[in-house]
Amino acid sequence: MTETRDPSSAGLVRLVAAREVATRIRDKSFIISSVVILVLIVGVMVFQVLVGSGDEERRVGLVGGDAALTAALEAQGEALEVEVAVVDLDDEAAARTAVDDEDVDAALLAGSDPELLVLDSADGTLEAIVNGAVAQLAIAEQLAEAGVAELAVPEVTVTATDADAAADQQRVIAAIFGVVILYSLLILFGQFIAQGVVEEKASRVVELLLATMRPWQLLAGKIIGLGVLALGQMVLIGAVAVGAALAFDVVEVPGDLIGTVGIVIAWFLLGYAWYAAVFAVAASLVSRQEDLATVLMPTSAVLIVAFVIGIQAAGDPDGALARITSLVPGLSPLVMPVRQAAGDVPLWELGLAVVLMVVAIGLVVRLGGRIYAGALLRTGGKLKMREALAAERV
Amino acid sequence: MLEFDGLHKSFGDVRVLEGVGFGVAPGSMFGFCGSNGAGKTTTMRIAMGLVRADAGEVRWQGRPLDQATRRRVGYMPEERGLYPKMKVGEQVAYFGKLHGLGAAAAAKASDEWLERLGLGARRGDAVEKLSLGNQQRVQLAAALVSRPEVLILDEPFSGLDPIGVDSLAEALLDQARAGVPVVFSSHQLDLVERLCDSVGILARGRMVATGTVEELRRREAGRLLRVVTPDPASSWAGALPGVRVVSDRAGDALLELDAGTDDQSVLAAALRTGRVEHFAWQQPTLVELFRGAVAAPAAEEVAA
Repeated sequence: MTETRDPSSAGLVRLVAAREVATRIRDKSFIISSVVILVLIVGVMVFQVLVGSGDEERRVGLVGGDAALTAALEAQGEALEVEVAVVDLDDEAAARTAVDDEDVDAALLAGSDPELLVLDSADGTLEAIVNGAVAQLAIAEQLAEAGVAELAVPEVTVTATDADAAADQQRVIAAIFGVVILYSLLILFGQFIAQGVVEEKASRVVELLLATMRPWQLLAGKIIGLGVLALGQMVLIGAVAVGAALAFDVVEVPGDLIGTVGIVIAWFLLGYAWYAAVFAVAASLVSRQEDLATVLMPTSAVLIVAFVIGIQAAGDPDGALARITSLVPGLSPLVMPVRQAAGDVPLWELGLAVVLMVVAIGLVVRLGGRIYAGALLRTGGKLKMREALAAERV
Repeated sequence: MLEFDGLHKSFGDVRVLEGVGFGVAPGSMFGFCGSNGAGKTTTMRIAMGLVRADAGEVRWQGRPLDQATRRRVGYMPEERGLYPKMKVGEQVAYFGKLHGLGAAAAAKASDEWLERLGLGARRGDAVEKLSLGNQQRVQLAAALVSRPEVLILDEPFSGLDPIGVDSLAEALLDQARAGVPVVFSSHQLDLVERLCDSVGILARGRMVATGTVEELRRREAGRLLRVVTPDPASSWAGALPGVRVVSDRAGDALLELDAGTDDQSVLAAALRTGRVEHFAWQQPTLVELFRGAVAAPAAEEVAA
């Protein structure tokens, strides 16, 4: 008399997941948060480009100098990694005006008794550049007068002991960036999951749901559904970030950047599975959105600690703190990607971190699933974990 | 046949159910009565797998209900539950899918039921925008959308206005006519009396009475005859063999007849006193039966 068929376990999980996706994707707060994150990323890139190009140029006015002095100034600037633009000025009066109007950062009055005009005080770099250039020319001149034409000065050969330092630096920046986003998404989606669980409890719809499926199917559906969304968002952010970084020329080694993005996404998956399950289980202990903050607090605190350590690890990737915490489940997703980006993580440490994290996920899903199952039909005040375990039903 | 058999359940030291059992035939409506906290909701939750029974089982067509067969049961929990922000049509279709309908079939069935329950125009609205009565209809649609083989409804009539009660009653009668066994709990005993083929009264964790309302009346009330004779000879009935006068106020007499006593001989005796205005077997209301059953001490409990 019916045209129904029995949905499989996977079918039920898929139904729940599809509902989560369909509901969230139309949710204003989700759309807004996604847009905000993307705008922030592009904004940071643009800011980098603007700051990066604006700060490094020094304009030096030159009165009475020749081509040799101009060349010397520019050479000195190059040595100090500062771009020097030399502006020829007619006389001291013009130089004073140019300095007062901030047309130039400083003006050099060349001659036997050279003088540097600045607005209030010369910055060290600029002074070094001008001093160096003037001294170099004077020495060359005096040597020529003394009849020394060619001076045999040994040239210093530069050998980089860590040739990848620049690339490392970029990877670390990318990893820090990644950890910031990873942290934001974990918090955001953890909240989504927790709110969803409480919504089902508060509206009592959970009783209808559990008449057709088992608690673990409901839990799995929620986590997977939101996980698909979270992963989609993460990949989108990664793609936009890489695209923008390349477009604005912020990084030089795209291969490294993409690798780092991949590592961050992989750790995001592990971190998400763990935090989502913990948030869901914690949320199942209460029946009202108002009580949510209290039960989520301990987990949120762990997440914040992990975030802080992750950022710290960027500066000291091989320190004891970073090495230990990058193995601890729950902390590792935010610390290990930074370590991996910053340097060489022994393979066994990486493997151990992944295995521990997977084991932790398994434990949370098993034990948490029991708490969740026991707590779902208990409405009222806040439930203790022990009570929820005792109330386990099927 | 839907059978509830020997259900026992304790929560800690509190023994809620101590051997609850009754049967509901296909196409019949069973009214489940009992005072607050008697264990009606627990019984229904056991049937839906939401609470695990300490002993006993619920069978449908001879097989214990399990996760798969429960999908063919339409259920309305006492504490109504719907996603407040989800649209009415999508929500009903979602429950259809959870009960095993394909996506297209679920959408179609959802539209049909909402149309039938007068909510066709609201299918695009969020549930929380609907009045409580309309939310209750959505709840019913969610229970009916998958064309269930069995209906278990916990207090489906609570909170409805009389018109809502009538339309829900009509929908349930339709289901029963189509061959679905319907179990519902209610405190509105007049409604139960009007709608149900059989009734069960739960008290102190046991069924203290089950059967048709008619059977209960006979069983509970014995053979009580009310005879009204406006101008009686004093104690005309007291002399009749096999008749005990329960009460007699100004000619309005309540008589209890022994099993072998012929009521027609009583009528003949009554007619000898003059006019007879009323002569009928006493019909206690379900409310009276309920009071009697719930108040009765455990020793007198009637087996199902």
